[in-house]
Amino acid sequence: MVLTSTGSADASGPLYGPTTPLPAVGTKISGGTAYVLEQPGSAPNYIFPYVNPQNCGFQNFGMMFWLMYRPLYWFGNNNSPAIDPSYSIGQPPTFADGDKTVTVTLKDWKWSDGETVNSRDVEFWMNIYKAEVGTPDAYCDYTPGYFPDNVASIDYPNSSTVVFHLKKGYNPTWFIYNELSQITPIPIAWDRTSLSQPVPTATTANLPDTTPAGAKAVYNFLNGLAKNTADYAPSTIWSVVDGPWTLQSYTSTGQATFVPNPDYSGSPKPTLSKYEELPTSSGQAILDLARSGGPSAASVVNLPDQYLPQLNSLKSEGYQATNFTTFSFAFFPLNLGNPTFGPVFRQLYFRQAFQHLVDQPGWIEKIFGGYAAPTYGPVPLAPQNSFADSTETKNPYVFSTSDAANLLKSHGWSDVGPGDTATCVNWKLCAPGDPKAQGLKLAFNLDYQSGVVTTAEEVADLKSQAGKVGINLELTSHPFVTVISSAVDCGPGTTGTAAQCKWTAEDWGAGWIYAPDFLPTGESIFLPGAGANFEGYSDPKATALTEATLTAPSGAAGTAALDAYQNYMEQQVPVVYIPTATGNVGQGNIVLTSTHLGGFTNNVFSNMTPETWYLTK
Amino acid sequence: MTGYIIRRLGQAIVVILGVTMIAFLMEHLLPGGIARAIIGTRATPEQIALFNKANGFDSPIWYQYWVFLDHLVHGNLGFSYKQNRSVDSIIWNDLPRDVMLVGTSLVLAVLIALPVGVAQAVRRNHALDYAGTAVSFVLYSMPSYALGLILIALLAIKFKVFPAVAPQGATVGAMLSHPSGLVLPVMTLTLVTYALFARYMRSSAIDSLAQDYIKTARAKGLSERLILWRHVLRNSLVPVTTLVGLSLPAVLTAGLVIEQLFNFQGLGLEYFNAATNYDFPVMVGITVLIGLVTALGNLFADLTYAVLDPRVRY
Repeated sequence: MVLTSTGSADASGPLYGPTTPLPAVGTKISGGTAYVLEQPGSAPNYIFPYVNPQNCGFQNFGMMFWLMYRPLYWFGNNNSPAIDPSYSIGQPPTFADGDKTVTVTLKDWKWSDGETVNSRDVEFWMNIYKAEVGTPDAYCDYTPGYFPDNVASIDYPNSSTVVFHLKKGYNPTWFIYNELSQITPIPIAWDRTSLSQPVPTATTANLPDTTPAGAKAVYNFLNGLAKNTADYAPSTIWSVVDGPWTLQSYTSTGQATFVPNPDYSGSPKPTLSKYEELPTSSGQAILDLARSGGPSAASVVNLPDQYLPQLNSLKSEGYQATNFTTFSFAFFPLNLGNPTFGPVFRQLYFRQAFQHLVDQPGWIEKIFGGYAAPTYGPVPLAPQNSFADSTETKNPYVFSTSDAANLLKSHGWSDVGPGDTATCVNWKLCAPGDPKAQGLKLAFNLDYQSGVVTTAEEVADLKSQAGKVGINLELTSHPFVTVISSAVDCGPGTTGTAAQCKWTAEDWGAGWIYAPDFLPTGESIFLPGAGANFEGYSDPKATALTEATLTAPSGAAGTAALDAYQNYMEQQVPVVYIPTATGNVGQGNIVLTSTHLGGFTNNVFSNMTPETWYLTK
Repeated sequence: MTGYIIRRLGQAIVVILGVTMIAFLMEHLLPGGIARAIIGTRATPEQIALFNKANGFDSPIWYQYWVFLDHLVHGNLGFSYKQNRSVDSIIWNDLPRDVMLVGTSLVLAVLIALPVGVAQAVRRNHALDYAGTAVSFVLYSMPSYALGLILIALLAIKFKVFPAVAPQGATVGAMLSHPSGLVLPVMTLTLVTYALFARYMRSSAIDSLAQDYIKTARAKGLSERLILWRHVLRNSLVPVTTLVGLSLPAVLTAGLVIEQLFNFQGLGLEYFNAATNYDFPVMVGITVLIGLVTALGNLFADLTYAVLDPRVRY
């Protein structure tokens, strides 16, 4: 395949869906059931909102427990990554004492058992969180050194107030989006270690969560229940909710049926009678369900990209298509710690040359049919948001094989041309500090996720373009888990073995979604040793800029810190930036909604909000 | 006969052990380790070490295998890391629905293939035979995925006669409450399986018709219907029985394509998802089951020989 490019693509907001509800045809009806198709093999299967890394899939957050148990702060509504105060249990927090003291006031919400959602429920959450820190069951968004490690103490002065005393001042926006966002108040009715114990209330003394050992025991009890999907509904535990929905049934095939919680304190309240999530077995099954059943069978469909040719037919059958995106950016890492190629990959010129080979506008047009957004740095351009600065909307490394070739030639590589394999003839330029690079040929493996047509087409084009400048990519494909598991961090100070560090490039067809830490900062991605620093990137300046985004004061200083970070990471290309597909995270797809579904807006973190939906006839 | 059955069951145990050993070893070849695949890329080295210790992955591999076997003989197939369900419950939930889907197709295929195959043999090189052969060749050469897509396009989307997806109930009873949804998946599997059975039945019946005992039966004045029913059909069934026996493991695996196509949550799909998600307990559990059913299927075929052919003794 040969793709063409004419320059950088525009990433203006309207291209990635409206911020207001999609229009519906017909007259609004009361009640009814809305159906959403789950992604193949991704049925929600964990109900306890204190979710460990093992169950950290987006489907569990957005399609299961957050429908029933609302987090302290809610993000992503109306096609924007911003906080939504009306959906949040907490009032906007106040910061004092040089941003070292954070006060959260809770709204007057009720649990379905009649208890008030109060500071004790936050304390219950925090007690479990602190008890599990450092274990394999730590909250899935836990990063060592950050929340709750960075909290010196917490006060609960009254039933509606929580005060966090931090070890140092943090950027307020960052602390709300990435730290307080990790809290979901959980009902005190869960504070027990067996079902046979009496149901505790807010006035019950000496509850088990008040000691670390007791909190662990409570966690083990609740985690044990959550691992038993057969008992999700009915359940005396999981039926205590503060969100707009309660789980009516859950089948062994992963079909989840929710009904409105009549005691929901928030707004808006559901008007649908039921909301159902239907399991699917394949992309073809999704297409079949949409085509044969029509909008009455599936209100919301994430159609895999390979079925793009069917789009017009589906539109004529009562669906509307939008290119809604998640707040994410796609990339794949080169192994900067590879013993042979790492010394080359660590050179900025090489990463720039490689980035020049990625034909983003061509891929978006030819491979994704327009259903993808360009990616020039770590802060997503789509949907339109206030975090990406103007610099990041422009591609610094536009598709150009000649620019790539020039960079290689000027850095000690010969045989830079079609049909050749580039050879290092001057190691001091190719890979400064590594004499072994002398004579090295630029031929290495790019392993990619199997079974995804768009990814296969991307890497095929990349191989073709790379071949024009003497980079010989050997393509292999494996299942997603193999690919992402192979990308072991082999950067400085890490523990990857020689066998684990042989990989050169791994493309699992996705990248990073900013959830459940919602601010597009890089502490989980680019800091040395960070959990998702697959490439083993280590750059003192990048580290300093990243850390500055966490601690800069609010306002202009905070914005300037984020701008400086993203501009540097855009220029440094620590990973290979590739177009970010629309639809659910990691699943390039097109969002189809029934024209008889009203009130639908995109949550950019893939959280379902059917309480805003209604059906028409 | 009893000794034969015991010997065959002993062989089956050896086969199953071998299969489980291979599947178990594969689990440990994963780049980055099992823990990273299960608890995710954000896990710290300390968390990974604790996870390995808690789940016994830090023990010598032979010891882990021994523990696995110990659990296996006690009926514990493990727990799915990805689905939060025991492997036993996954299998026992999906197996009845798979038996219904593939079993129904198998029975229908046999019931159609036997008379058609015999009829083709009797009318060999006539129009009926040519037509039957053509149909069989077309169906046999067509991937089940393609056949399923054609049936969906015609019968579900164009004419809207049947649903394109299987009933979504979690139990056999729930699925049977929407029988129309079963028509297309059963039809697809039946047609693909039928083609193979019909070809075998035809050639087997042709062989039988050429045997001396058929000539003798005709010389004795037996009616053609009686000859076909008593002598041709019974003797022709032996090779087809082998096929049916070997098809039994397909109850667990061959439905994958159909399951993917018709949104049917079955064991084939479970196995596929487990393989792509490295849900090893599910993979190993289903592998054990496949090994067991394969052994039993072969045993079933061997024992059926003895029923069909009195000369066969074990």
